[in-house]
Amino acid sequence: MSARPHASRASRPAALAAAALLLAAAAVPLFAEGGDLLVRNGTLLTVTKGTIPRGDILILGGVIKQVGGTIAPPAGVRVVDADGRYVLPGIIDSHTHIALFGTNEGSEPVTPEVDMAEVINADDTAILTALSGGVTMAHTMHGSANPIGGRNVTIKMKWGKPSEQLIVREATPTLKFALGENPKQSNRSIGFGSPAQYPATRMGVNAIIRRAFLQAKAYMADWDRYEALRKSKTPPPGLLPPRRDVRLEVLADTLRGKYVARCHSYVATETLEFLALAKELGFKVACFEHCWEGYKIADDLAAAGVGISVFADSWAYKMEAAEGIAYNAGRCAKRGVVVSINSDSGERIRRLFNEAAKTMKYGGLTEDEALRLVTINPAIQLGVDKIVGSLEVGKQGDIAVFSAHPMSAYARCDLTAIEGDVYFDRDQYLKEREAAAAKPAPAKKDGGVS
Amino acid sequence: MTRTPFRFRSLAMPAVAVVALLAAAGPPLRADSGRVFAIRGCRVLPVLGAPIEKGTLVLRGGLIEAVGPAEKIVVPPDAEIIEGAGLTAYPGFILAHSNIFIDLPRPEGEDRRFGGPPAAAPSAAGAAAAEDRFPPGPGLMAFDMLKPKKDTLELWQKAGVVAAVVAPARGYIQGQSVFLCLNGLDPAAMVIRNPAALHLNYVNDRGKYPESLMGTVALFRQDILDASWYGAAQAQYARTPLRMRRPAYAPALEALLPYARRDRPVVIQCNNFEDVKRALAFGAEMKLNVMITGANEAWRVADVLKAHPAPLLVSLDFRAPNSSFAAAQGEAARKKAEAEVYPANAAALAKAGVPFALTSLNVPDAPTFTKAIRAAIKAGLPKDKALEALTLQPARFLGVGDRMGALQPGRAADVVLSKGDIFDEGSTVLKVFADGILFEYEEKGR
Repeated sequence: MSARPHASRASRPAALAAAALLLAAAAVPLFAEGGDLLVRNGTLLTVTKGTIPRGDILILGGVIKQVGGTIAPPAGVRVVDADGRYVLPGIIDSHTHIALFGTNEGSEPVTPEVDMAEVINADDTAILTALSGGVTMAHTMHGSANPIGGRNVTIKMKWGKPSEQLIVREATPTLKFALGENPKQSNRSIGFGSPAQYPATRMGVNAIIRRAFLQAKAYMADWDRYEALRKSKTPPPGLLPPRRDVRLEVLADTLRGKYVARCHSYVATETLEFLALAKELGFKVACFEHCWEGYKIADDLAAAGVGISVFADSWAYKMEAAEGIAYNAGRCAKRGVVVSINSDSGERIRRLFNEAAKTMKYGGLTEDEALRLVTINPAIQLGVDKIVGSLEVGKQGDIAVFSAHPMSAYARCDLTAIEGDVYFDRDQYLKEREAAAAKPAPAKKDGGVS
Repeated sequence: MTRTPFRFRSLAMPAVAVVALLAAAGPPLRADSGRVFAIRGCRVLPVLGAPIEKGTLVLRGGLIEAVGPAEKIVVPPDAEIIEGAGLTAYPGFILAHSNIFIDLPRPEGEDRRFGGPPAAAPSAAGAAAAEDRFPPGPGLMAFDMLKPKKDTLELWQKAGVVAAVVAPARGYIQGQSVFLCLNGLDPAAMVIRNPAALHLNYVNDRGKYPESLMGTVALFRQDILDASWYGAAQAQYARTPLRMRRPAYAPALEALLPYARRDRPVVIQCNNFEDVKRALAFGAEMKLNVMITGANEAWRVADVLKAHPAPLLVSLDFRAPNSSFAAAQGEAARKKAEAEVYPANAAALAKAGVPFALTSLNVPDAPTFTKAIRAAIKAGLPKDKALEALTLQPARFLGVGDRMGALQPGRAADVVLSKGDIFDEGSTVLKVFADGILFEYEEKGR
């Protein structure tokens, strides 16, 4: 639709390219071993290819080479015996805000120019917390203060690695939107005399999103006009390109399909309104966040091919969620909606498997169906289901070893590996912790920086 | 001193009269720098070249005329002789980033906060007025805010400092700095270069855009894009003024333009190690001439700095940023890190072979700066590296490595004479030459 030479590709790829220049590793993961790992004798929950009651799984160079059967350990590969334990694909959190310097650019209602990929905080201990619950990947997002927030980023929980190495570049680029009380109230006048900011109502939220995209369309038209003139046989003297506006460029790229919408949405009516708006304007919605009333519109969501990323409970925790129900995730999943259970938190992220299991009691999902909500389904929502989300040959070696079936209330994550590198090993971690506690404080070395 | 106080900003007279005065007065006089000095028999640490145990320095007309072993240097007959026995001569220290001589209110904790709210409302009426007069932005010139004070000048000279880049200190786009020689109190006569650089800081606003770090990052990008676009429009208009509508004048973009064009450096304050990578990536993306400043966690990205060299101005501010593990672990851990880990930043960089200058950014005063240098040395920074990082390295980064930062003939006569090793406890700076102008100090306890 546009023939702009640089605008659609310029800002973010340039930034990423520049960041990619800086790949020098300054830190080493605690338990990294070079991407080779053999886990033996476990019950393999492949998610997409059924359950293998007892078998081995081999990861070489970060990639799954074999699933099932008995595998002789290749030389130099670390072997983990999972006898009596369960091996599953690394858990994926479709919606959280961990490992970031900041959450909301809340000063203005439309801020797609901000990019969470530029403010990753790899030192956030929530990464380690996530690993302890078997989580290997998370979609960490701009907050919900704005009708149109910032660009989000998908990262792996590579604790100890520099921030730029956490980014999952295969993931579909996403842009945060928000409807309802959050964008309404975050823009409300806080103190007497302080200016209230548009929007203050649900219809205002809808209108401001439309207005922003109409501006983006005008921006695209300006560039198209410029390009046509530039390429014409007699370009006018003094022809200048339009001003580059990163904010509008990201919206234009959303209209072009480069970014997909991830929309915070509580009630059914505005969810449907947003779907209609996206259709009218011509951008793609990947997923609704929280979507408390998804069960009311499950067929519409399924027909539109839009997923939802929800809590397992907390229903009715505020007025806007009053009609949220425990059965939301299960019912939507059964109606064909791609459902994920998210944490939205640096604490709940360590027990997403417990959260997913609640859909078995409330919603009647099977163990396998429930496990999908925190593995392959979030992978589909993030556009990474070709590389993660299940135990399949050729996928990245992101796995977790659990002491019991992850849908059991007694399950505990014992080991988490990303691309064959062990980033969390409960036994080793506890041993190190005890050793550290037993040791007297280390004497200060001369001039050393640890 | 018989310096002509020449500062047209302070002259309350009609413009015509100012012009007339300018024409009559010509360039400001350098009254004191015509003197000739010979410092005889001192230890000389020239930075470029080997130390001279018993050397003589001849200074003439604000420049170094000769340096060498005492027996080889002929003392000119017109020289005022200074007996240097027991003294050591160093090149004057250069602060590549400071806020000295700028008297603006700095809200409590502003620089410690990362991504947090800066600028609490100033309480004093005078402070409010100062904020109004000098709002941060690309057009704010540190030169316009300068209020050199004698006691401040003396304290910094006694710390060995003879030149300093002085930058505005507030906001995310702070303004433009000026590079000064500490040769007196007349701002114009002190200027080595004005403007010196544009100063950015990875902090955010409160209650208005940008309210977050990612907002600040986005704003920097958009502003540089805008300045480039503005420059292209102005250039096009200059080429084809006919049949082209005159582009609108935009003062802020006009101020940014030389920086967007790489004509002058953009100094980005990095409050933690992630900021360093952020600034390097931003500079590469926007093709800017970027300098890293602050960077008291630079050791954590020493590899990156080695692979992607940029002028690195390391502050001797040892306070742990809020984003650090140490700060997250509570006050005791923070204090421990500030006493043991952060002072070793420079030592680790030197060990890794990353060139850097040491600066006083966020160091409250000159005596604290002196103590901080000693702490960095105690933490493992070799003295010769410390000296280089205070003299020749900043001179190079500031583009004056050929005329300042070392004791060599032809360079500026910026010389510090210290009794005792300047980095040792109990040493005293007794004489300072700035542009060849002599400042003398009493020995401690006298």
